[in-house]
Order: sequence, then structure tokens, then C-alpha cells
Amino acid sequence: MIQLTNVSKFYDEDIILKDISFIVNKGELCYLTGPSGAGKTTLLKLIYRAERPDNGKIFVAGWNVGELKQRTIPFLRRNVGVVFQDFRLLLNKTAFDNIALALRIQGLNRRQIEEEVNDALEEVGLKGKSHTLSQHLSGGEQQRVVIARAMVSKPTVMLADEPTGNLDPETSDIVIKLFKEINAKGTTVLIATHNKELFIGTGRRVISIKDKVIEKESIA
Amino acid sequence: MKVLVYSFQTALKNLWQARWINFLTVISISVGLLLLSAFLLITINVDSVINRWSRGFGMVVYLQDNIGSEDEEHIKTLLLQDKEILEVKYISNDEALDTLREVLRSQASVLEELEDNPLPSSFELKLKRDIINPSLVEKKAARIRQIDGVDDVRYGEEWLSSLNTISKALSIIAIFLGGAIFIAITFITYTTIKILFYRRIDEIETMKLLGATRIFIKLPFLIEGLFIGLFSGVVSSLLLFVMHSFTAFKLIEFLPSLRALVVPLPLEGFLAIPAAGAVLSLIGSFIATGRIRY
Repeated sequence: MIQLTNVSKFYDEDIILKDISFIVNKGELCYLTGPSGAGKTTLLKLIYRAERPDNGKIFVAGWNVGELKQRTIPFLRRNVGVVFQDFRLLLNKTAFDNIALALRIQGLNRRQIEEEVNDALEEVGLKGKSHTLSQHLSGGEQQRVVIARAMVSKPTVMLADEPTGNLDPETSDIVIKLFKEINAKGTTVLIATHNKELFIGTGRRVISIKDKVIEKESIA
Repeated sequence: MKVLVYSFQTALKNLWQARWINFLTVISISVGLLLLSAFLLITINVDSVINRWSRGFGMVVYLQDNIGSEDEEHIKTLLLQDKEILEVKYISNDEALDTLREVLRSQASVLEELEDNPLPSSFELKLKRDIINPSLVEKKAARIRQIDGVDDVRYGEEWLSSLNTISKALSIIAIFLGGAIFIAITFITYTTIKILFYRRIDEIETMKLLGATRIFIKLPFLIEGLFIGLFSGVVSSLLLFVMHSFTAFKLIEFLPSLRALVVPLPLEGFLAIPAAGAVLSLIGSFIATGRIRY
């Protein structure tokens, strides 16, 4: 589902990632870990094509990401849900409108949007907050809206960049549980985190990055 | 279609949310369009006056004293064969003298002193309107002068040249003023839409991450620009109509000489102003939204 082969990324003369190769299989939930500055965020950006690899090949759900033309990138992104540490919500819009935006972009009609958004809000446990402005939601609630927004368009791949970075342990558990539920429905999930407590003992595969290269792949 | 509906709704919502900046933009564009259309209206009026004056334009071909009626007939035939000459009227030297007497009226007695009629016979020509410009008329006169039996050709050289200069000057001013105002309107809309675009940059970045196409992101801004230009054009048209009506019905009461100068602006003219505003603002918005990169 996600395949990176000898991928490298440079900013000017600085090496950010070097010779990265790994595969995340279809339907797998996998963790990407490493210390801050290891290149996790850049790696995710390469996967959803916010950055372009300088070397190597990246395939995501059949798309050759590095070779995509600008006009094709939106169609890749509709297949790749992304959850950010800083949420990237539109704070002056309601939870409903934030989630609905993903479906409006895909051209669904009003009835379909209403149905899908309400289902997504129910799944993340925020049905009662549908018409609350995002700025009035707590950090955990905001993160759940972001997850609902990422899953509502039923992507084949979901990426999460430090999804619990701004959350307390209790809320973090809720968020991780949501990712597991999404994965159980068949979506491939890749979570980037420096917090080892999130994956220790889960039996999931962990890809560790250190000093710009893959240090090891292991089972947690 | 759904994208279009969504873009219209978003554009209208954004127009209302940023109503003050949009209001100021509409005022600026309206003033620009009004200046341009008022000037064009003046140009149309002056042009119509020039056209009316041109209809009376004539050329006089003086004949040599010693030619006979056969030669006169031959010259007349040659002149009539020219497709650029609409009318040829023969004026005998006696008729010319009679006309002079009428003109001189009380002083006509001076003509009694003359032993012979000093005036030549002539032909009065009416030319086609599309050749009435100084260089063409001059060439025409030179060709006629070469006909045997023609003594001289006269026409209002200075008058024609002045009319031509006025007409040309108005056209040049219209081109420069029009160009400057067109650029100004495009730039005003560009600036406004650029501001609105940057105000929503977070939303645009999020939309890009969610898979929004370029047209999905740009269309609401283009529609906003279109509405701003269209509305400004409508305001200008209405103001121009009021100004024109005021001149045509009220000002003429005090300045009757204006009557000859005022011609009605056709309906197409009033419709062209909003259309021009819409097109120019659309261009400004298109440039402002730029090339969206992912």
C-alpha cells in the first residue's frame, strides 16, 4: 500500500532523509518513530506529496507519488487522510463544516454530506458538538474532529503526524483507539510519533528512524 | 455543477463578510468606469456633430474661361464616372454672379461697374463621407486639377484639417484614458482579491491537503471579482444615465446651444459598461489567485 525505495531528501545541502526503504502493507497499522528532528514529518510529507523526493521512488495506493503532476496531486490526497499534531482546523467554522469540507471538495450533494458527516461525528463521539465552533472545542475534541475529517472521505491510507503530541494521556488513548477502529475497517494507517508508550506492547510493526536513516524495523 | 453552486455560495458569503473592502473596491471601480464612459459619451457626441458637419462638405471645380459646352459636358461625364463623387452640380458663371449679388445685397452695385462677368463657371461636388479626410481629399483635388479645362479646385482645407485633428485627438485621448482606466480597474480588483485570498490562506492550505483542485480553490475568488466588476459597472451605468438625462433635459434649458451636441447613448452602451467591469475584474482576480502549487 505504501512503498518507499531508496528515498532521499535534501534541503539545499542538508541531508534530511537518506536511502529510506520500507513497505506498509494493505490494512496494516504501523508506527514510525524516532527522536524529534529525525525526519518523520518530512517522510509523511513525501507520502502525501507535500514534498518531492530527490532520490528514490514512492508508491502509495498505486500512485507513483514522486512523478505526479501538480494537477493530479489532489486526487492522491483524497485517498490519503492526514491527521496533524497542530490539527489544522478552520477555527471559525463548526465541527460539521470542517468535516463537510472534505466531502464538498469531492463533489458530494448536501444529503450525502449530512449523512456522512453525522456518521463520522458519531464514530468519534462528537455527535452533540456538530454545530459547535471548532475554537470552542477542547484539544482532544479538536483532534477527533480532524480524525473525522480525515476518515469521512474513506481514504485507503491514513497518516498521522504526532497525533497525541498536544493531548493528555487519557485523550491520547481515545485518539489511538480511534485509529485502531479505522484500521480494523481496512484502512492502512501509519502513525508517526516519538512517544514509545503509544506502541509498546501493541504487537504492531515499528519503523525507527535515527540520524536520517532507518535504524531498525521491529515488532513492539 | 456542484462545484459551481458551492463556489457561488462561498463567493456571496465572502462578499458579505468582507463587505467594507468590497464596498470601497466597488466605489473605486465605479468612478473609473464612470470617468471612461463619460469621456466616451462626449467623444460619441462630438463625433456625431463632426459627421453631421461632414455631410455638408463640398468641393468646387472652377473651369477655364475659354472652354466650350462640349468640354464642360466631357468634364461632367468624367466627374460622374468617379464612384467617390456622389453629386455633380453645374454652376454657370451667370448663376455665380447672381449668387454673388445676393450675398452682397446692398453693396451689389459695385458689380455694375464691371464690363464682363469675371467669375468662372464651375462644378459643385459632393463627396462620399468615407473619403472626407485631408489627405484623400487633397489627392482627389490634385487628380481633378489635371483634367483638361479645369482651372482650379477649392475646398475648405483648413476646416477639414481642424475637424480631422479634433477627431484624431479625441480618439488618442480615448485610447490612453481607456488603457489607463482598464489597467487601474484590473489592479484595484487584483489588490482586493489578493487581500481576500491571503485572509483565507489557512483555509486554502487545508483545502489543498484535503484534495481540492485548483478550480475548486480559485472559482469562489473569480466569482467574487466578477460580481465586484459587474456591480461597479451597473452603478456606473446608472450614474451615467442620470448625468446624461440631466444634461439632455435640464442643462439644455439653460444652455440651448448644447442641444446640437447631445445625442442619446444606445442601450448597448449602458450594457457594455457592466460587461467591461466584469471582464476586467475577472482578469484582476485571475491574476491575484495566481498559480496554485501543492
